[in-house]
Amino acid sequence: MSSSRSPLLPKEDAREAALFFVVGALCFLAALAGLAARSAYSAADTWTSAVTGQVTVRVRGDDDAARRAVNILKSQPEVADARALSREERETLLKPWMGAAGVPADLPLPNLVAADLRVQSDDIGPRLNHALTSAGLDVTVDDHVVWSRGVRRTTDSAGAVALGAVILLLATAVAVIAFATHATLLARRDIVELLHLSGARDSFISGLFEQRFLMLGVQAGTVGALAAFVAAALTLFALKQSGGDGVWLLPELSLSLADGLILGLTPLAAGLAAMLAAKVTVWRSLADTV
Amino acid sequence: MNRHDIADQPAIRPAIRFDRVSLSYGPGLDILSEASFELRPGSMTFLSGPSGAGKTTLLKLAYLALRPTAGRISVLGVETGGLDRKGLSNLRRRIGVVFQEYRLLDHLTAYENVALPLRVAGEHERDYRSNIEELLEWVGLGDRMHARPPTLSGGEKQRVAIARAVVVRPDLIIADEPTGNVDEEMGERLMRLFRELNRRLNTTVLIATHDLGLMQRTRGDLLRLADGVVMRAAAPVEQPGDGAA
Repeated sequence: MSSSRSPLLPKEDAREAALFFVVGALCFLAALAGLAARSAYSAADTWTSAVTGQVTVRVRGDDDAARRAVNILKSQPEVADARALSREERETLLKPWMGAAGVPADLPLPNLVAADLRVQSDDIGPRLNHALTSAGLDVTVDDHVVWSRGVRRTTDSAGAVALGAVILLLATAVAVIAFATHATLLARRDIVELLHLSGARDSFISGLFEQRFLMLGVQAGTVGALAAFVAAALTLFALKQSGGDGVWLLPELSLSLADGLILGLTPLAAGLAAMLAAKVTVWRSLADTV
Repeated sequence: MNRHDIADQPAIRPAIRFDRVSLSYGPGLDILSEASFELRPGSMTFLSGPSGAGKTTLLKLAYLALRPTAGRISVLGVETGGLDRKGLSNLRRRIGVVFQEYRLLDHLTAYENVALPLRVAGEHERDYRSNIEELLEWVGLGDRMHARPPTLSGGEKQRVAIARAVVVRPDLIIADEPTGNVDEEMGERLMRLFRELNRRLNTTVLIATHDLGLMQRTRGDLLRLADGVVMRAAAPVEQPGDGAA
């Protein structure tokens, strides 16, 4: 039985294979940048949430001064709980600086009190400091606000840079696709003209190119996103396997919903960008014809 | 019939009307110079002229592939100058064109090439499949309908191109040397097809040809194009330099 279901535009040629590679590579880089941005925000959340809602108080003096500080802190309405850190816990905190040899037994360590807060507020540090010093204690209260702000500022900047990279890569992809569409249109001008003379509307002709480039974008985007996922997973896996000092900076090796969203959106964004680039290019080209 | 009756008669609009149409590709490069002529609806007309006279250009103007530099063209009663793109598309769907160089799509089969105007018009294949198969049988390509143009001979391509032009039963058929690459027997057969469409469906047919015998064997009006000017001719007479343009 006869059929007329063959596509009106010929199947892809070497030119489109090259375009597929370029769009795939751009999507790979864009997805990686997106994952990097997500990681930066995620890491910032992890770091800051670990210290948010906590106050560390350094108490100068003996263990009795530390016990008094604990009692005063517990009496404050904003404080849910407070406890003095043991010597082992304080030594653990110094480990990154003292190395594997550990802390010498005769090294005097400052007394530290950790307090869990019911509510976090910007002035909690000064208020607790006032309550403790009013009782005659020599203390330094660290509410981690300055550190958290610094971390947030840094990760926000990193995220903005990554977002900028994603936008730049997307714009590059659109420009490349527009260029390729125009080249395809020129190469297949005979088909376009024949369709025109057969009574095809501009929307019909444009639709052929839009469909072609939508599929190209989605397929190239899928390949790019998968490659980005594999690259990110391998990088994290290799870092964790090597046990390098920087591993603690990296988020957990697991695909979060946000990561899935980034990877899932990459082919869609690539497909839509390709389709729109093709549409605009074709309509502009057709406007010059009779 | 009184004057009132005459006034009530709808004016018969020419199938093609050129009114002082000029076309030039630059200063001194005039292809047509204030050409004026009309084709009656349902007429069969041959366009002849020396090689390079601009027959193909005139046909391109008639099937709306070119816009004139000056003058007015109306096709099937529609003034083309003021048409928007949608209007042009609608008008083109009523015109079947046989191009001199066939213009078949190499990646489509003969069947798919013939079906092209119907696909463009949004028709479903189940509605036209048998028609196309029958048409291809009629032009002697029943066993070649799945062949692609690169494997077809010049005559076979010509017949596919003609089948594509007539498949929508257009109101106007414009053919540029439609029998140039077929033998005499097939040429006669194809001319009979044009003649049948012309008689049975009242389709207006305009054929550019330099085949004197064809013009003499097939009754029709004659237009002669020379030096950018179109003239009506009484009977086909071989002129020095007549040939494909």
